[in-house]
Amino acid sequence: MSDSRRRVSRGSQEESASHANGMGGRSRPDRAADTGDEDDGAGPSGIHEEDDDPARRREIRSQYRDLINSVQQNREDMLNPANNKLIDVLEEANKLFANVRQAREAALDAQLLVLATDLGREKASQLHAEGSSFDPSAFAEHLLSFMGLNRLEEEEDDQDGCLYGYLPPDAWQRLSKRAEYCFRTAPSFHYMLGSFLAEPPPPRQRVERQRKAPSKEAKRMMPTQLKKMEESHQEATEKEVERILGCLQSYYSDDPQSPISYYEFVVDPASFSRTVENIFHTSFLIRDGLARIYLDDSKLPCIAPVEEGEVEPGGAAARHQCVISVSPASWREIIEAFEIKEALIPTPKTLTQEN
Amino acid sequence: MSQRKRVAAVGSQTKHFRRSQQVVLDEDDGDMSLTQPTSSQVQKARENFTPVQVDRKVAEVVQFILIKDQKKIPIRRADIAKHVIKEYKALYQDIMKRADRTFEQVFGLKLVEIDSKNHIYILVNKLQPVPGEPISMCPGNPKTGLLFVILSIIFMKGGTVKENVVWNTLKKLRVDVGEKHEDFGDVKKVIIDEFVRQKYLEYVRIPHTDPLEFEFRWGQRAEKEVSKMKVLEFIGELHNQEPQSWTQQYREATSVETSQR
Repeated sequence: MSDSRRRVSRGSQEESASHANGMGGRSRPDRAADTGDEDDGAGPSGIHEEDDDPARRREIRSQYRDLINSVQQNREDMLNPANNKLIDVLEEANKLFANVRQAREAALDAQLLVLATDLGREKASQLHAEGSSFDPSAFAEHLLSFMGLNRLEEEEDDQDGCLYGYLPPDAWQRLSKRAEYCFRTAPSFHYMLGSFLAEPPPPRQRVERQRKAPSKEAKRMMPTQLKKMEESHQEATEKEVERILGCLQSYYSDDPQSPISYYEFVVDPASFSRTVENIFHTSFLIRDGLARIYLDDSKLPCIAPVEEGEVEPGGAAARHQCVISVSPASWREIIEAFEIKEALIPTPKTLTQEN
Repeated sequence: MSQRKRVAAVGSQTKHFRRSQQVVLDEDDGDMSLTQPTSSQVQKARENFTPVQVDRKVAEVVQFILIKDQKKIPIRRADIAKHVIKEYKALYQDIMKRADRTFEQVFGLKLVEIDSKNHIYILVNKLQPVPGEPISMCPGNPKTGLLFVILSIIFMKGGTVKENVVWNTLKKLRVDVGEKHEDFGDVKKVIIDEFVRQKYLEYVRIPHTDPLEFEFRWGQRAEKEVSKMKVLEFIGELHNQEPQSWTQQYREATSVETSQR
């Protein structure tokens, strides 16, 4: 339809007939490069050898393709009612068409026409609408302003205006908050305090039951055994400590004025391990405030029992701590230095022997 | 003669057989197509289950729908029947009616069927958002804004828009479908996958196009959930124009409002 109009506008009537009909006719000789057949084709006029110049045809095709591409890329631009770029494209195509002789190029021309008419239709529909038209580009601009775009420069070419400026990170949230009012969305349902993952734990239960059975029996046995052990331990220590206290007190009462050397008291010249035990047990006496260690004039430690009345419950001020260590070597040194011949604390065995 | 009678007899028998087969098939296939139960079946079912049991079923349906709605993907009636109603299916109508009432009276929501052929439901808010009051304490979900932009373009362009229009406009908003976006990630996926599955948009092939082209339309959920009037009003605010200045769109928006009332 516009085809014929274009032909008329160009005013080349001869060619119109030949081209309009000759296209069909030309398709046959299009196969062959030979020029001879063309004279027999439907179109009688204007068929020269130069029409078949492959280089020229290639050029035309490339120009058509460029035109088609530019229309496709700049579609929005073409639709803009403010300009007439679409008409420019058509005029360009007209010029190209003047040199078209064969079907292949004409096919490209047709393709371009399809695009152009499509755009034309859309452009026309924009005009049809009564009231304002809607331009998505302008819409985008307004949206950007709403979202808080900071335009850094004044751009004269408004097409590029959107690309400049700083869009704040909460831009889309800002838009969403306002846009929410257009929706009647049901609020999403979520449990306030989270929810259990409804996975049944039968495997865990089974394991627990299995474990419980043996442990119960074991527990039942354990208390009786433990009790026995505890008692024996406690008894032994307590008894020993009491015994040592008794020894100390009896020695002290023998001669209250004469101080008892700590070393002489705890050291057992016959046994290093007994000595360590004695030190261990006497430390309980000191801790409980039943005996005290003091330094005599020679700065040697002496031990003495604390009198009944002397025991001060709040005597924290007088209390000191120390750590005593003894090795077999130093034990032997002490024995030599103090000439300890026998243990002041009799061993339990000797006691029973005595008894 | 007798042969024909026999054939006729057999015919009616097979018809019977076929019908009972049909019922069995309906129960067996996963779709659980709920052919209308007879009133006697319903009566019998009502007797079989105690009111307490039915109450419980209603509560289960309500809970099922609420959880399913979290992702905003429409709920199929077949799923409700298969996963919740199960053996109570004769009472389906009763249960759904009561569930509907619960949604309205307890939650202020409406259970809306957006596809009456395939029986698909969505939950919509029964209450209108009040312009002064905040809708929720949460910061706005950016996807809402994105969806709004697309729906606006479609609406203002007459209800259908070629996909390129959407892509190009989004590009002007610094949302490039070819690149990963700060807020949206894979934008194209969000639009043509998520929004379409949620039935906010329809992404339809344009026939006879080569290369393949698609166009966007409002989805069934959008039709029920989005107010065209409010969209137009906001667009008017943005353009500093009266909504009435877009006469065609204004006409459409008002007609939808009146029909929905």
